[in-house]
Amino acid sequence: MLKLVRRGIVANLGRLILTLISVTLGVAFVSGSFVLADSLRAIFNQVSEDAFSGVDAQIRAVEPELNSGQDLVRFDGSLVDEIAALDEVDYAEGGLFVFEQTYTQDADGEIVRPPGPPVFSGSWAGPSPASAFTLVEGEAPVGQQIAVDEAQASAGDFSVGDTIIVTVPTGEPQEFELSGLIDFGDGGTGGAYFILYDLPTLQRVLGVEGNLIDSIVVTASPGTDGDDLLAAIDSTLPDGLEVLSSEEVIADQQEQFGTFIDIFGNILLGFAVVVLFVSIFIIYNTFAILVGQRTKQLGLLRSIGASGSQIRAMVLIEAVIIGVAASIVGLFGGVGVAWLLKQLFSTGGGSFPDGPLRILPRTIVVVVVVGLLVTILSAILPAVRASRVSPLEAVRDGGQRERSMRFRILAGAAVLVPGLAALLFGMFGDIEGTAPRLAAIGGGAALTFLGVAMLSALFAGRAASVLGLPAEAVKGITGRLARDNASRNPQRTAATATALMIGLALITGVAVLTESLLRTFDEVLEESITADLFVFEEAQGLPFSSVIIDQLDALPEVGEVTGFAPVEAKIDETVESVSAYDTETGSSVVNIGVVDGAVEGPDGLGPDGIGVLASKAETLGLEIGDTVTIELEDGFTTDLTVKAIYDEDTLVGAPFVVDRDLTSPHLNVDNVGFVGLTYADGVQPDVGRAAVEDVTSNFAQLTVQDNTEFKQQTEDQVGQLQIVINGLLVLCLVVAFFGIVNTMALSILERIREIGLLRAVGTTRRQLRTAVRWEAVIVAVFGSLLGIAMGLLLGWAAVVAIPDTFISKVGIPWLSLVIYLLVGAVLGVVAAFFPATRAARMNVLDAIAYE
Amino acid sequence: MTTIEMAAQAKAASKVYGYGPTAVHALRGVDVGFEKGKFTAIMGPSGSGKSTLMHCMAGLDRLTGGEVYIGDTALTTLSDKELTELRRNRVGFIFQAYNLVPTLNARENITLPMDLGGRDIDNTWVDEVIDTVGLSDRITHRPNELSGGQQQRVAVARALASRPEIVYGDEPTGNLDSRTSAEILDFMRAAVDELGQTIVMVTHDPRGASYADRVLFLADGEIVHELESPDPDLIYDTIRNLGDGGHVLGDK
Repeated sequence: MLKLVRRGIVANLGRLILTLISVTLGVAFVSGSFVLADSLRAIFNQVSEDAFSGVDAQIRAVEPELNSGQDLVRFDGSLVDEIAALDEVDYAEGGLFVFEQTYTQDADGEIVRPPGPPVFSGSWAGPSPASAFTLVEGEAPVGQQIAVDEAQASAGDFSVGDTIIVTVPTGEPQEFELSGLIDFGDGGTGGAYFILYDLPTLQRVLGVEGNLIDSIVVTASPGTDGDDLLAAIDSTLPDGLEVLSSEEVIADQQEQFGTFIDIFGNILLGFAVVVLFVSIFIIYNTFAILVGQRTKQLGLLRSIGASGSQIRAMVLIEAVIIGVAASIVGLFGGVGVAWLLKQLFSTGGGSFPDGPLRILPRTIVVVVVVGLLVTILSAILPAVRASRVSPLEAVRDGGQRERSMRFRILAGAAVLVPGLAALLFGMFGDIEGTAPRLAAIGGGAALTFLGVAMLSALFAGRAASVLGLPAEAVKGITGRLARDNASRNPQRTAATATALMIGLALITGVAVLTESLLRTFDEVLEESITADLFVFEEAQGLPFSSVIIDQLDALPEVGEVTGFAPVEAKIDETVESVSAYDTETGSSVVNIGVVDGAVEGPDGLGPDGIGVLASKAETLGLEIGDTVTIELEDGFTTDLTVKAIYDEDTLVGAPFVVDRDLTSPHLNVDNVGFVGLTYADGVQPDVGRAAVEDVTSNFAQLTVQDNTEFKQQTEDQVGQLQIVINGLLVLCLVVAFFGIVNTMALSILERIREIGLLRAVGTTRRQLRTAVRWEAVIVAVFGSLLGIAMGLLLGWAAVVAIPDTFISKVGIPWLSLVIYLLVGAVLGVVAAFFPATRAARMNVLDAIAYE
Repeated sequence: MTTIEMAAQAKAASKVYGYGPTAVHALRGVDVGFEKGKFTAIMGPSGSGKSTLMHCMAGLDRLTGGEVYIGDTALTTLSDKELTELRRNRVGFIFQAYNLVPTLNARENITLPMDLGGRDIDNTWVDEVIDTVGLSDRITHRPNELSGGQQQRVAVARALASRPEIVYGDEPTGNLDSRTSAEILDFMRAAVDELGQTIVMVTHDPRGASYADRVLFLADGEIVHELESPDPDLIYDTIRNLGDGGHVLGDK
């Protein structure tokens, strides 16, 4: 038995290797997702541990319910002396730590920043047992000095003693002397840059009023128990502060990173599942063909006493061996995939910290189980079919017989109908929330794929026949042969084509989605932007200090200036996003589509009014004149009257708007998300812009864009996202590609006699090659057309399911669709290369004498 | 006649393909028994039902009426599993197109039925069979390294190796030249005479049939004639008398 399986595998090595590649690619993607996520997690865990390696306890503010900014809540630094005076405490140091606030500039005036990770600015009192920083060169910074990490120094070409221009959030850039170079922990910074100041200097640079800090790190005096230390500190802490052990702090940090990494890893796994889904079609197809080819041999085995279950076991064992092999190769291939993914995301604008790639035991188990399951699952049907082969097949003369279509129709319909139902329910059903909607659509799509794949055999023959007409018209008899071969075994054509279908359907779906997103965005820009210029943080759209608003307002070239601040507030006891902006000037910058009431003027929001997004107002049952209670970060609470209902929230990005004068005094940090402005009457755009850029040049992280540039940048961002997604989906196409190679090679073997005959009656090698190539093209185009059709359906479904505030228009990227079709056809040509060559090389006599 | 032990029997065996007006009656109530230790040949024109009769009596195919027995076992009531075991343990086959598993070598092909059944292999016996068919020096060769005659000898050895109660041959010499055919037939004759094996063979070749103890003639699904220990000339004559002139036997 096993001997038969082993010999069978050796004999069919070539075609099984192609199957193996299909499984391996899917498995490697799964493995790679785990490896990448685990490696990232390990790096960040190390960074967190390093940061607090010498610390016994940390004091910080209790995480507030509302926090509009990114920074920790600050408290009075005089507490440090009190803590240091405790008997249990050996050393206490207060500090401030913020990110993306100050930047060094290189000789060209460009800010120095890593492509993905953040730039941290922190206070540092020099080397201490509680500090994760160590001096590599020079001294700790004092006064108008900074210390930076080595990576930053080399990126900016800084040396100790250099004078460096540093961008600060409060005004013009300042000159600092580089006092020293620092290193962080044992595992490096994970790619982030650090700029260190002494505490008073950092407070001044950040515009912090008074001696405010955001944390105190503490080491215990010798012989003091950790719990005693925490208890002693806890008893002296004022309200609103808490003390954490170093383990708690580390766990807290790791959890924050972990959440992000989990999301990232799960997205990758999602793609991996899609690739595996495609591989299932390929594996199934290969096994089905292998069984079909061996019908006579299976009949022989049956006639000399092999039982049906022995035959079934034989096919399944073959699958298990392939599954195990693919899992092992895929496991290590995953390291390669992880590396590729890192590259892919780097081109997408991000960057990954360097670190060793990790294969955890969990990864090995999951990968082997998944690889085995997928292969066995795909081989079950062919195995059952093999076990049903009659012993009489041994004496019957050649040729596979057509299988009944009835089962296929019933099964296909049984899958397709609920699939479409779920799809439609996801689009139009009464579902709360976007995520469940998309889940229904995703599940429905998977079933629809399966259903279409099963049923496509019904029309694959006719479709291939029609699609082959041009081939016949162009190529005459060779085209005719290609057309006939593509249409004569509809089940094989369908199985090959559907693997390609899924890959192209997903890519088309994504294209429709992004095109729709861009169309929607264009429309929003068209209708709602009246500003001449926008100012915002270039890299990640982070908030920045509102001091720039007054500076811009002071320019004679500038007409109206409005800052928009994203604020977290409680509206009637529920935490909500609120956009606070200068409502008296706001309408000259954006049009939020007021449908009822007014935002500006005597009846406008003013200090005691609020505007509500129409859909939100409907949900909450709010109307003009109703009263709501707002609570801000510092606990300030007041009643507001609903004075406006608006329906365009793309730019303000929140379901509530209030005046910025209401919120500014009550925020921890008075930042804005972006600033919009118009030129004063009669000012030429280039003159106005030059004046504005003169001001913003002090804030090197800020960028100035007009409407067109803004639009272009958004298109670029969406385009990059599309590249990353397509990069992931291309793997589906690769798997599908191997599927075509496999099917073509197998169908050539099946037709060896016929090919010999064609050669015997005078077909040239070139003609034979052409015929095989065109056959592949016909199958590939059939699959591509199916895929594009399915992709349009999917994209449309997703656009309908996603709320109108994100995407409201359906856009069809016609040009891309044509390109995808061509790519599909080219895939066919390339995939046919090897099988076509092989068919053409076949010796005429061998081919005829085969068996 | 006293009690003759039968290796296989058919009673009123009938087989119909299709339904209604298009039905084809391959067997029309055939009664026949194959005596133990005898070599029987079945002849008849194409479509006479001789292959169908053999397939049904070997448990490869099922009857639509009547009953067939291997020894005392009635086959029509057996499940697929029981039929499989019967084929594995009690019946041997020799096919026209050698029908070896291409990935296994000669010896592995010969022991395959026993391997499938998980039976202990009687190596002395297998070696004796291999020796008798003259394959000792070719035993590790794959089928594609063997000549047609050698391949068929492997097939014969496979049929005999499990000591079945009865061996069926479906035109075992149909693909061979006359010299190799004679070798195979000599060997089958020897298996009957010396080892007491029961063999039933379907053939087109009167010379091949003359090796048998008894020749049955089928036409239109019925046994129409039989000869005991005939010589080839008698068989030719019989065929000529049975045939309708143009409808010739051995139309290969």
